[in-house]
Amino acid sequence: MAISLWSLKVGDRCRIECFDDTLADSYRVRVMELGFHPGEVVSCVQAPAFGAPKVYRVSNTMFSLDEEVAAHIRVVLLTANA
Amino acid sequence: MRKVILIGSPNSGKSLLFNRLTGMHQKVANFPGITVDMASGPMQSLPDVTIVDYPGTYSLQPISGEEEVAVEHFKHALDDPQVVHVLCLIDATRLEKSVYFMLQVIRECESHGKRVVVLANMMDILKKHQISIDLEGLAREIKAPVIGISARTGIGFNDLVESLNSDINLDEKSVDSGIAEVPDAFLRGTAHQLARRYGPKGDILIKSQTRLDDFFLHSVFGGISFFVIMYLLFQSIFTLAAPAMEGVESALGWVSDWVVPAIGSQMARDFTADALFSGIGAFLVFVPQIFVLTFVIGILEDSGYMARAALICHKPLRVFGLTGKSFIPMLSGVACAIPAIYAARSIDSPRKRLLTYMAIPLMPCSARLPVYTLLIAAFIPQVTAFGGLLGMQGLAMFAIYFFGMASGLVVTGLVSRMSEDHYADLPFVLEMPPYRIPAWQPLIRNSWNRSKHFVTKAGKIIFAVTVVVWILGYFPNFGQDLAASWLGYLGLWIEPLFAPLGLDWRYGVAVLTSFLAREVFVGTLGTMFGIEGAEENMVPLVAQIQASGLSIASGLALLVFFAIALMCVSTMAIMARESESNTLTLKLFAAYGLAAYGLAVLTYNVATLFS
Repeated sequence: MAISLWSLKVGDRCRIECFDDTLADSYRVRVMELGFHPGEVVSCVQAPAFGAPKVYRVSNTMFSLDEEVAAHIRVVLLTANA
Repeated sequence: MRKVILIGSPNSGKSLLFNRLTGMHQKVANFPGITVDMASGPMQSLPDVTIVDYPGTYSLQPISGEEEVAVEHFKHALDDPQVVHVLCLIDATRLEKSVYFMLQVIRECESHGKRVVVLANMMDILKKHQISIDLEGLAREIKAPVIGISARTGIGFNDLVESLNSDINLDEKSVDSGIAEVPDAFLRGTAHQLARRYGPKGDILIKSQTRLDDFFLHSVFGGISFFVIMYLLFQSIFTLAAPAMEGVESALGWVSDWVVPAIGSQMARDFTADALFSGIGAFLVFVPQIFVLTFVIGILEDSGYMARAALICHKPLRVFGLTGKSFIPMLSGVACAIPAIYAARSIDSPRKRLLTYMAIPLMPCSARLPVYTLLIAAFIPQVTAFGGLLGMQGLAMFAIYFFGMASGLVVTGLVSRMSEDHYADLPFVLEMPPYRIPAWQPLIRNSWNRSKHFVTKAGKIIFAVTVVVWILGYFPNFGQDLAASWLGYLGLWIEPLFAPLGLDWRYGVAVLTSFLAREVFVGTLGTMFGIEGAEENMVPLVAQIQASGLSIASGLALLVFFAIALMCVSTMAIMARESESNTLTLKLFAAYGLAAYGLAVLTYNVATLFS
């Protein structure tokens, strides 16, 4: 079942399924340019307090994405942090 | 003369490579978006080749002002017949981030008949971790030379020079990678496959990076460490700079003792003692603080912490209509508003960029530092604890800096709620650079250049103002009675304006002259109090202010006034240029001027009630 990237907890790994239609085209293109492709494995490495942007690892790069972007990326959970 | 364009994604080491190739000293830092302007210079090993460095961008489809400028100029430059090569810098450790941009560059260059040489940077890091990357395979696929280099160590520079020399005579038809007509969507898919097939095989992310993030981005320790780091930044201005400041004072004293008595003419002697050593000397004492401030901010940028600070600040700044990306320009504004306004280009949302422009003049810039230091030294007792780590004066400085920053946030918060949003807002996406040990030499060089720039920029204005103030104060009675001088008459005429702050005409004149540059306030007061000799810098001026009967309420009112008023001509000029709006700049000047005066009067009256 697809969930949003934003809902991942630290240590969770997922595979990107698709993007919500509500995500602006320019931002969909930009996150894809940065490596957030459908099929790519992403892990959540930091989730600072107070709703600050979370840090995600794609391949060898880390990006922080805030809720406005991450909530629109649909993912399938691969491994959940115990 | 041949031109070679250098282009690459943010934080790929482009400025460092430019410096290595040209021997120049562009600012380098471990933070995306440091290069905001183009720079050019001849290549050291090929003097007939000029390298043109473009701001970093993730794509040739721009979504921010900074990227738009870079892309526009890049496409325009490809029409220049002098441009023979384009050096496209990619990060070999993170190929997936760079390959799509590289393909876009190759496609654009191909349509203009320009040759691309791809430079895969950071090969030293791959070597260190014994991780392989198939650059030959990548070169075969894209039909362009790919050279593995390290901008830090110089690996691959010989191959680069050879490549720039070997294929200059190839004609335009030889530029054919077969992607001239490929649409963006297909190019993205190709880039993804190339990165997977030829990218580094292995885990490069250093475990220590995650461990450091576990602490610096921790829900509790992250916030605490942020405030501790910011406090240490401000305290270092005093603790680290103090010996150098004393050194400058002593040196000026020695020169003054030697020079002034040797001058024959009384008027020349008065001018040298009062205008030069008092006015300009008092300003030079603060240069070590500027150096330390720039150096410490440089450490934060170069270590990779600055991006974490932007992340931590994002949510709180959003409350005030800003973004975490506003934090960097605002913090840069603590050093100087001019580079801060340039740095605001990296904010992709036009609305948030505009709000950041509004906040920057309220950031406590280094030009305010001499004024704050003087007033705090005059009114706040020098009490310290914990071996000098905690001090009343340091806390007062922290408070006035905090007041300036808080004022900036209040303004942006109010404006963002009151004004209609004409722009589509853009969400927050920020690359987290790896933590690194700062490169000390460029940091010191950059701090030195900033201090030099501060002295040369402000020095000319201060010299001119100091001379004018000295002439007005010296004539017509040759320095016998300041109150009966031209300056005295001018001060008395404007005194009613400053009376509600409890200030006499001398402070009024100093405030007026500081509209050219804030730090002129200190020099003008030095001249006005007619302090002589070398020891006449900080300590005697403070003593004179204390002896002048100025109340603590007036001192606080002055601090508040200087924290709010937009008084720097250079800042206004840069803001008008960057925002493309003279109206915005003039409105801010008037609004901040009136607010500063009103709040200063309020502060004076409240403080008088309690004193």
